Amino acid sequence: MNRFSKYAALLMLMLHCEAIALASGTMQANDTSVDESTQRMVVQDKRGKNALNKEIKKDPAFRFPSDTLLLGEMQAIDAQANDGKDVFTFSEGQLDEDEDVIQGAATLTSSSDDYFLSEVGYLFSPMRFRIRAYENMYNNMYANGVLLNDAERGNFSYGMIGGLNDATRNREGATFLEGASFGYSSVGGASNINMRASQFAAGHKASLVGCNRNYLARAMYTYATGLMENGWAFAGSASYRWANEGVIEGTFYNSFGYFLSAQKIINDRHSISIATWGSPTERAQQGAATEETYWLANSHYYNPNWGYQNGEKRNARVVTSFEPTVLLTWDWEITRETKLTTSLAGKYSQYGTTALGWNGNAADPRPNYYQNLPSAAYDVWSLDYTPTEDEVADWYRRYDYWKASKANRQINWDYMYYANQQANETGGNALYYVEKRNNDQMMLNLSSVLNHEFNNSNKITIGLNLGTTKGMHYKTLDDLLGSDSYGADIDKFSVGDFAPNSDYVQNDVDHPGRIVKEGDTFGYDYDIYVNTARLFGQYLHSESNFQFVAGAHIDGTTMERYGNMRNGRAINNSKGSSGTAKFLGGGARAGLQWNINGNNTFAMGFGIEERAPLAYNSFVAPRMRNDFIYGLENERVWSQEISYKLSYGPVTAKVTGYYTQFDNVVEQSAFYNDMLSNFTYLSMTGLQKKHYGIEAAIVYNITSALSVNFLGSIGEAEYTKDATGFLISENEEVVQNDKVYMKGAHIDGTPLTAMSLGVDYNINGWYLSANANYYDRVYIGASSYARLSSVVGEPVIDVNGNEVLNKPNQFHGDGGFLVDASIGKSIYLRGGKRLNINLMLQNILNNEDMITGGYEQNRDDSYSDGEARTYKFSKNPYLYYANAFNFYLNIGLRF
Amino acid sequence: MKTLKNIFILGISLFMSVSCMNDFDEPEFKTPPFGNNAIGEANTTIAQLKEKYATTISSSGVEEITDDIIIEGVVVANDESGNIYKQFVIDDGTGSIIVGVNDVGLYAVMARGQKILIDCKGLHVGGYGQLAQIGGLYNGSIGRMNKFTFPLHVKLEGTPSPEMHGIEPLVIDETFFTNANKATLPRYVRMNNVHFEEADGTELYAPEDIAYNNVVERTIKIGNTRVLFRFSTYADFANEVMPQGNFDITGVLTRYRDYWQFMLSSTNDIKSENE
Repeated sequence: MNRFSKYAALLMLMLHCEAIALASGTMQANDTSVDESTQRMVVQDKRGKNALNKEIKKDPAFRFPSDTLLLGEMQAIDAQANDGKDVFTFSEGQLDEDEDVIQGAATLTSSSDDYFLSEVGYLFSPMRFRIRAYENMYNNMYANGVLLNDAERGNFSYGMIGGLNDATRNREGATFLEGASFGYSSVGGASNINMRASQFAAGHKASLVGCNRNYLARAMYTYATGLMENGWAFAGSASYRWANEGVIEGTFYNSFGYFLSAQKIINDRHSISIATWGSPTERAQQGAATEETYWLANSHYYNPNWGYQNGEKRNARVVTSFEPTVLLTWDWEITRETKLTTSLAGKYSQYGTTALGWNGNAADPRPNYYQNLPSAAYDVWSLDYTPTEDEVADWYRRYDYWKASKANRQINWDYMYYANQQANETGGNALYYVEKRNNDQMMLNLSSVLNHEFNNSNKITIGLNLGTTKGMHYKTLDDLLGSDSYGADIDKFSVGDFAPNSDYVQNDVDHPGRIVKEGDTFGYDYDIYVNTARLFGQYLHSESNFQFVAGAHIDGTTMERYGNMRNGRAINNSKGSSGTAKFLGGGARAGLQWNINGNNTFAMGFGIEERAPLAYNSFVAPRMRNDFIYGLENERVWSQEISYKLSYGPVTAKVTGYYTQFDNVVEQSAFYNDMLSNFTYLSMTGLQKKHYGIEAAIVYNITSALSVNFLGSIGEAEYTKDATGFLISENEEVVQNDKVYMKGAHIDGTPLTAMSLGVDYNINGWYLSANANYYDRVYIGASSYARLSSVVGEPVIDVNGNEVLNKPNQFHGDGGFLVDASIGKSIYLRGGKRLNINLMLQNILNNEDMITGGYEQNRDDSYSDGEARTYKFSKNPYLYYANAFNFYLNIGLRF
Repeated sequence: MKTLKNIFILGISLFMSVSCMNDFDEPEFKTPPFGNNAIGEANTTIAQLKEKYATTISSSGVEEITDDIIIEGVVVANDESGNIYKQFVIDDGTGSIIVGVNDVGLYAVMARGQKILIDCKGLHVGGYGQLAQIGGLYNGSIGRMNKFTFPLHVKLEGTPSPEMHGIEPLVIDETFFTNANKATLPRYVRMNNVHFEEADGTELYAPEDIAYNNVVERTIKIGNTRVLFRFSTYADFANEVMPQGNFDITGVLTRYRDYWQFMLSSTNDIKSENE
C-alpha cells in the first residue's frame, strides 16, 4: 500500500464510486445524486484532477448512494457488481458462452441510471434475451473510443475478450438516445471499455470459479500498479477456463486469456496507452436437435455433435478462435475544457469451426440425420393414416436402435475411420473427413474524438472513425480420418449434373484436379474488404431540470469481394474483384429529458439512420461468386421511444415504450438443401421489420437493506413485409428470383415476453438475492426457404372464402418460470486483503422445458414432383433448451 | 514489471500446456466396428442358395430364410458411383446375388473386393422380376432389408482386395445370351469387344431430359445381340459422354423377367479397346 500515490488512492476511491454508481439500481440508498455523464468523465479523468469536485453535482434525475455508506457495504456492492452481475453491456454468460448457440444474447448497453437496462442483460441471460429483440449488430462495442464490431457481420465477437472479465470491467454505456462521449451509438446502444492501465485498481486480484456450465473451472489473476509516481501505470490479467466435459455432454472448453496494458502520463496534457489482449480458445459445440431425438435420448440436452472414437468422446464441431488485438491510445487534454482521444486498434483474428464432411455418395454420418429417425418410417403425424405392419416394424427397429445404447445416438467415428481405411486398401478416396471453415479477419480502426465543454450546460462531441477490414474466408481439410487421399478439389454436388471431367465440377478451374492434402485450402477461398468512414457530432445541453441531446453522423462504406479461386460454376465471376460497392449513410437523433420535479421525469427521443447493408449479406453465394445482390441499398432504421420515471419515497419506477422500424433490410441464409441435394444460398431484399413494446422496472426499497423489484419487457418484433428472394445452389449457374412470404414471421431467439420479480437483501457484508423470471414467446428462426412462393405454392381458398397460404406456422416455446438466486459475502482479512465469495444458482426449480431458440428446417415436405415425403420437416424444428439447474461459485481475493 | 513478466510467462506456459484438447489417435481395428463378428463359417454357396429357393425366385415370390444358412462372397458391384442404389452384389465364384439394404452409401463398408459373410437366417430371399435377391419384405415382395437389420446379419472379413480375392468375372460372348439359363442370374461377367448403340460422341449416359423415373435405358451391342442397360440420372457419370467404339465391360448381368439387363458400378469398368 505504501507505493500508492495520492493519485492512485484517489483513483481507487473513484473506482469504488463508479462501482457504487453502477450498483445504484440495487441500492437506492440515499438521495445524494450525481450527473451520470459527469461521473463518467470523472472516471475518464486519469489524473484525477478536480475529480471529486466535478462529481458532486446535484441532479435529482439520477440517484446515487451516499458516501456515508459503510465501506463494507460499498465493497460488497463492488464485489457483486464485479462478479457476474455486470451492470453494463454484457453478462458473464455472454463472455463465457461466446456465440455458440444461435448468436449470443445481445443486450442493450446502458447508462447506469436505468435499472431495467442494467439488470436484464444478466438476469435474462439464461434465455438469451436480447433487449427489444434487436440483432447484435445494432449494439456497438468500443474500446478507448475505437469501434470493435466486426465490419462484415456487424456484431461484436465476445470471443475477442473471452475470459477477460477483470480486464474489461471498466465500461461505460449509452443508449441510442443518450449522449455518449466516446462514439456514436447504434439503435441498440453502445458501450466503451476503458483499457487504460491507470484505470485499474492497484493491487492483485485472483479468483477461482467452479461451475457446471460450458466450462467447469476458471482461474483468473489480475495485477495493476495503479498510477505510479513516475507517471507509468501497468496492468495485466491472465485467465484460464477449462472443462474436460462441460455440462452438455461431449463438449469441452479450453480457453486462455491474456491482457497487458501500459500507460504513460507524459505531462498534464498528454497520455499514451497501449493495450494488447487475446483469448486463444478451443471449445466444442452443442448442436440443436429435434424434439423427436430429445425424446429418444430422454433429455433436452442431447447433443448430436459428438460420438465415440476408440471409446473416447470426440466432438465434430470444434471452434478454435484467437483474436489478438493491439490498441494504442493518445489522450490529449488540449485545454481543461477540451479533450481529444485518439485510438488505433488492430487485430488479426482467426476463427475456425470444424464440421464433418462426406465425399462422393457416402451416407450422411450425422446420427440425427432424418432418415435414421423413427418418424421417417411412416407418416406419424397424419391421424388418418394407418401404417402397415412393415412400417410399424420399421418404426420399432429405428426406435429400438436409438434406445439400445448411447453410442447409437451419436456420431460413429470408428465407422468412418474404418470406411476410410478400407478405401485405402483399394486406392479409394476418403469417404469421411473433417473440414474447417475459416473466417479470419484483419482489422485496423482509427478513432479520434474531441470533447469540448463550453460550460457546465453545453458540451459537444465531434469524432472521426476510419476502419478497414479484410475478411478471409476459406475452407481447409482438417482431418482425413485415416484416409490416404481426399482426391481432387471438385464439387461433389456438381458431379452428377455435369461431366465429371468438365470445368464445371472444379472448385478452382485454374488448378483443375488439384489433389487436396490435410491442411490444404479447398472448396472456396475469398476475401471481403470493407472500408468505413464516419464523422459524427453531438451536442448536449443540460440544465437542472432539463436535458437535451442531439447528434448526427455521416458514414461512407465500401465493400468488395476478391475471389482467390475460379469456381467452375461461375468461371467469369468468381476470381478476382467483384468491383466495389459504395454506400453513403448517415443519421440523426435527438433526446429530451424533462425533470418535472424531483419525483417525475419524462423523456423522449427519436432517431433515424441509413446504414449500409452488411457485407455478409450483400453477395449472392459468396463462397463461389463475385456478384452483389441485385438492388442492394441502405437499410433505414427509424426509432422512437418515450419514458416516464417516478421516484416516490422508497419506490422508483420507470416505464418505457419504444417503436423501431427497419426498412430495406437484406438478409442471407445458407444451408444444405436436401431437395436440390446441394448447398444453397437464399438472400432476401426489401424486408421490413418492426420492433415495439413496453419495458418497465419498479424498485421498492422496503428498508435500506431490503428491496423488492419487478422488471418486465413485453414486445413484438416481426417481419412486416414479404421479400424478394434470390436463390442459388452451389452447383448452379443461374440465380432464381422468387417471392419470400416473410410477413408475419417473428424475430427469433429471444423471449418477446420476459418478466422478473426479485428481492435483494444486504446485511453485514452479506448479499442475497432471488428472482422468479417468467418468459414466453421465444420463436424459432423462420426458414426463408420454407416461405418461398415456389415451396409454399398457390394460395388456397379456405371455408370463409379467403385466400390462405400454406406457409409454416412459426413454432414458439411455451411460457414458463426460471428461478435464480445468489448469495455473496465479503470477508476482510488483515493487511487490507479482502475475500469475496459469491454463489449463483440458476434455474433452481430445474425447469428443463424452456426453449431458448432454434430454427425451422430449410426443407420441403414434398419431393420436387409434389409427392409427399414420409418425414415431415415442417413438424420437426431444431430446438435449444435453457440450461438445467446450474451453479456458479466464485471466490475472489484482492491483495 | 517483474510481476508483469511473471504473468506473461505464466500465461504462455499455461497456453502451451493446455493447447489442443482435440487430438485423437487413429483407431486400429482388430475386428471390424461394423457388422456381427459372431457369425460363423459359410455353409452354403450362393449357387446352392439360389438353387434351394429357385421356385420362389423364378416366381418373383418371397420367402423368409429359416434355415441356418451362411453364405460368403466378395462384393463385385456397389453404390459408389450412384448408378446402383441401396443394393450391392456379391459373388463367391459359384454365382452372384443381389443384396438389398435400405440405406445409402453402402460402399463405405461394402467396398468392391470386400469379402463378407451373410447370415441369411431371418432375412428374406426372393425374385424381383425373377432376379435373385436377399433382403427384406416389402409389400409382400422381396425388397430391401432394414438398415438396422443389416449389421446384425453381415460379417466383414479382412480388407477389400483390388484382386477381388480371386473372384473373376465370367467372360461371356453373344452365345451366352442364347444359351444361358436366366435363372442363374445375377452373374458377375465381362463382355469383350462391345459398344454402345447410342454413342455418337455427344450422347450422355443418363441426361435428365430423356429420363423416365430417373432412369435412362441404353443398349449394348454384343455381336448382334442387344443388352439393355439402365443408367440412373443420379450416377456420377450420368452427364458423361458415352464412349464410342468398342470396349470391354465388367459388371453384373441381371434380368427383369425376360429382359436382360446390366448393372454397372463405375465407368472405370469400361476399358476401351485402344487403351
